[in-house]
Amino acid sequence: MTHLVLDRLTRRFPGAAQAAVAGISLELPKGALLALLGPSGCGKTTTLRMIAGLEKPDEGRVLVAGRDVTALPPHRRNMGVVFQSYALFPHMSAAGNVAFGLEMRGVARAERAERVRQALALVGLEELAARRPRQLSGGQQQRVALARALAIQPDLLLLDEPLSALDAKLREGVRDEIRALQQRVGATTVFVTHDQTEALAMADLVAVMNQGRVEQLASPEEVFERPATRFVATFVGRAARLSGQVEAPGTIRCGEALLRAAETPATGAVEIFIRPHHVRPVAAAENLLPARVLRRTYTGEVVSLECETPAGRLLAELPGGVPEARATAGDTLSLGFAAADLRVFPA
Amino acid sequence: MRPGILLRLFAALGYTLLLSPVVVVAAISFSAGDFLTFPPPGFSLRWYQQLFSSGELMAALRNSAVLAVVVAVVALLVGAPASYAIARLEFPGRDALAGLLAAPLLLPTLVLGLALLLALQPLRLAATWPGLVLAHSMVAIPFATRIMTTAFTAVPRDLEEAAWTLGATPLRAALRVTLPIAAPGAVAAGALCFLVSFDETVISLFLVGPRLSTLPVEMFRYAENRTDPLVAALAMALIFVALAVVLLVERLVGFQRALGRE
Repeated sequence: MTHLVLDRLTRRFPGAAQAAVAGISLELPKGALLALLGPSGCGKTTTLRMIAGLEKPDEGRVLVAGRDVTALPPHRRNMGVVFQSYALFPHMSAAGNVAFGLEMRGVARAERAERVRQALALVGLEELAARRPRQLSGGQQQRVALARALAIQPDLLLLDEPLSALDAKLREGVRDEIRALQQRVGATTVFVTHDQTEALAMADLVAVMNQGRVEQLASPEEVFERPATRFVATFVGRAARLSGQVEAPGTIRCGEALLRAAETPATGAVEIFIRPHHVRPVAAAENLLPARVLRRTYTGEVVSLECETPAGRLLAELPGGVPEARATAGDTLSLGFAAADLRVFPA
Repeated sequence: MRPGILLRLFAALGYTLLLSPVVVVAAISFSAGDFLTFPPPGFSLRWYQQLFSSGELMAALRNSAVLAVVVAVVALLVGAPASYAIARLEFPGRDALAGLLAAPLLLPTLVLGLALLLALQPLRLAATWPGLVLAHSMVAIPFATRIMTTAFTAVPRDLEEAAWTLGATPLRAALRVTLPIAAPGAVAAGALCFLVSFDETVISLFLVGPRLSTLPVEMFRYAENRTDPLVAALAMALIFVALAVVLLVERLVGFQRALGRE
């Protein structure tokens, strides 16, 4: 069941040449987690702020559970927001912060205390209820912010880069915690991030954004394996980029080699993306190229080989155990990849 | 890095220059003699006794204290919302409002005093409490606005936004989140307004009357006509009040920090 609808949402900041958000439309099912993924300045935070009502769209609508909330001020939207800075009230205790939203809703004192306790228990911070934000670690502050947003039983949970202020060590754990919590509570969630790993690991749906537009809206697997545009292919994950010319549909001339691809434009110059993990040392494949190893990078679990082929430079990522992973600079291998694994875009 | 010997000498010289008159006045206030002479011929508390038994001066001290408290409250009540608007809201004429609120600071107080007399006389407000409160507030409000605008601007905007998303109307968010966090600024602003009013002399000179006078005005008049050390004792009383207010602020704001901000 569709819970959140963005309908041609647009925001132009005065004086800016380009719209910060240029007509975004998407739908999100109830209970799902959507990641807005993109580089800084792509409009992802502006989109989140428009959903929360903190920014007024110039055009378009926001619908929650079928209701048009575009004209509502933030205090009447019932959305739980976790800010990048957490925005905890420094003059209130953790419990006071969590109670604030309930107090604003006129929840009676006794029920309020119980719901505050539950919300803090949900994030495992019952014991620290009396602490002020300054007396809490970054991770604890983050969980208070999450408890505060969830305590009001929001129609939507909105997270603005909630992990960016945390230590790299903490980030992965908190990421999984947020995801588990979100699924347990069943909160429909929009999550803003510039970190593809975060987006891929947490989201049910990823919207890859660039210059105010959604380049691709799909599952994490789809975004990673089948990027819809050149931008998505470069922004998400690593890939070797080759340039070529379509000779016939399905066949591309690439340097001295001919490559077969599942989907190509009918004609013209193209850019080809090949993910390193799709490149394998094999004897037979739809595309088979002799490759000379230029550089070998050992990272434990995988070995990256940068190779020179007749089609251009290829990156291959091999599991540490396979015999080919022992190749060193100067060695020659036979590398193959499937036609379906090539992503081809008009250059 | 420790400051060099030269800088420390320079600072010591500065302090000596600034504080030596106070030391002289303090010494004279304890004089046993009948005239404003330094060094005093002997020491006594007679001028303090005389000061505290002078009905006129004590009445003026009371007036000044009450007036200063009322002015501080009025200045905060006017200054806080105005500062909030200047710091947070976007509306046409915002810069004009900020300029208007600061304008009394730019006028010579002599001009302001005369203008206020001319304006208040026909309204029968000269030499009345409302008239004095109005006049002193005009001078105090710019100080309150300046300090409170800085205090409000220093409160991160996303705290207020967070309050909105949690269901607080803009007014409640301002009262429950922004104002308490800006409270030390309000305390400082209130104290400064108190002192501005308590020490205000020139405008008061135009507006006081035989039945309602303030301490600085009485002190001025006394010094005009008499040359005994009473005026030194009076000066010490003024300094003591100012010092007490400053200490109170330090105590209050420090207290607030300990409770709310750390």
